[in-house]
Amino acid sequence: MTTRAGVRIGIALLQLVAVSVGVFVLTTFLPGDTAEVVLGPLATVDQIDTLRAQLGLDRPVRERFLDWAGGLLHGDLGTSLATGRPVVDDMGDRLSVTVLLAVLAVVVLVPLAVALGCYGGRRPGSPADRIITATSTVAQAVPDFALGLLLVALFALQLGWLPATAAGTVGLTGLTVAMLVLPVAILVSNQLSRLARQVRIGVVETDTAEHVVHLRRLGLAERTVVLRHVLPGGVVPSVQQFARTVDGLLGGVIVVEALFALPGIGSGFVQAVQTRDLPVVQGYALLFALTTVVVNLVADLVSAKLVPQAVRL
Amino acid sequence: MTALGTQAPPVVPRRARRRGTVTRRTLRALGIVLLAIPLLAAVVGPFLAPSTAAGGIPLQGPGSEHLLGTAVLGRDLLGLLLRGGTTVVTLTAAALLLAYLVAMPIGLVVAARGRIVETITIGLLDVLLALPSLLVLMVLAATGRRSVVWLVLAVAFVQLPHVVRLVRGAAAAPACVAALETMTMTGEPWWRVRIVETGRRVLPPTIVDATTRVSGVVGLLSSANFLGAGLDPLVVDWAVVVDQNMTALFLRPSVVLLPAGLLVALCAGTNLLVDDLLERRS
Repeated sequence: MTTRAGVRIGIALLQLVAVSVGVFVLTTFLPGDTAEVVLGPLATVDQIDTLRAQLGLDRPVRERFLDWAGGLLHGDLGTSLATGRPVVDDMGDRLSVTVLLAVLAVVVLVPLAVALGCYGGRRPGSPADRIITATSTVAQAVPDFALGLLLVALFALQLGWLPATAAGTVGLTGLTVAMLVLPVAILVSNQLSRLARQVRIGVVETDTAEHVVHLRRLGLAERTVVLRHVLPGGVVPSVQQFARTVDGLLGGVIVVEALFALPGIGSGFVQAVQTRDLPVVQGYALLFALTTVVVNLVADLVSAKLVPQAVRL
Repeated sequence: MTALGTQAPPVVPRRARRRGTVTRRTLRALGIVLLAIPLLAAVVGPFLAPSTAAGGIPLQGPGSEHLLGTAVLGRDLLGLLLRGGTTVVTLTAAALLLAYLVAMPIGLVVAARGRIVETITIGLLDVLLALPSLLVLMVLAATGRRSVVWLVLAVAFVQLPHVVRLVRGAAAAPACVAALETMTMTGEPWWRVRIVETGRRVLPPTIVDATTRVSGVVGLLSSANFLGAGLDPLVVDWAVVVDQNMTALFLRPSVVLLPAGLLVALCAGTNLLVDDLLERRS
């Protein structure tokens, strides 16, 4: 167990290295001149040269990468071209909003997925099961921004129940619960299907498994059978799927924050992309990738703990 | 799993099952209708569409000159709706085709070449998974690489890990292997057995998998377009139209909601039908 965990952590470290190389390659190594793009078509040759020197684009690729990676090790991600502030400070301010959003989404998502998956899984093929599956599939298929707009039109414009935007808030100040309802609903609706489906499959399998049938024959209360025996069987295989929903959740955060003007790292990233603020783009890209690697690592370790033979290392 | 004599009784009574079948047919019909509307608009629309030249009065209401009114830049909304689907459908098809053309051979070779090649390739591809797909597109856009070619390349690229895994898995399926062993024993060259023949056998599950990826790719492309990280703002595309008209959401919601609604119908319809297809196969 300990060796396996060690190997898995080693793989995660390698992934981190590979991911930072990936981010660097994406931003600087591919064909195209970043400095020209950042400054736009009206820039003079002098301006372009100055920026190129500032970004270090005039130096050889290897040297640039080592420099960037060296900075990373010290927690230095460079300074923003737009604000002149260190990228790390900018991220810190915005992180609280995104973490709040993600935690709320998970708190709603997990019980809902388990409840729906369990309900449908105990009645496979019934109208209720089909409608649950179809609704969550449709919700997952619909692009976040399109669903968001439809919800805003309904709940903010038509009914006037919820605010349409969180514009004007800074960090967590000024943020109200009402502002978070629609963003969380969109994040959840997009990820619900996969997780609920995984739980459903697990429940269908366990519900008809020999030992559960036997427990029923012994006359155990249905409640006990479901809560103690069927449910755990459905939930354990879903741990891996839960990790995979994080990629979706992060993608969703980018869109949802931009749509509702929530001041988190997602909207920070979109702004940086729009203003071509390269160091900030690199920093956020790295942060997103890092989160995915860490969450996958935790999911693997947790599911290895729950079912030791589940993880192939 | 179940031993003889302990077969579990059917969980759902027969009547409920019949009602389930009715629900399933209704959902299938709904899927067909939802998919048909945007697909027709995308395929036939451009031939029927009025001009979408800018310069009319912005945000006009519906009238005789502009049947559905105009958008922010004074362009005809009906024209935008009828022309804006072509890019989504073509780019999705192109990206998926490219992804499968590249991933099929990789998956087949990986499956044919044993443990070490397999571990290395899958390990490398897993690193790709650590980068959220939308992020890759946005980083490319931030550094000025936002032509149609880059968009298709990047979308195809982020599909690779999933597809290679799928092809490898399908190629190693027991039924597949047993039949091919016979071919190997009769002295066929390895590429004929492992690439051509296995490829033929792997094709059906791969095509099914491709259909499950359609709505994901549409979502990815349109989200990138919506965030201004995809197509050029001048291109007529539903998601680009939504992005451009966001400021008019409160003034004239239809300008935003109609193109968004078409995207919703496209994705929802596709997934309802794919679900139905998957269930029929199983």
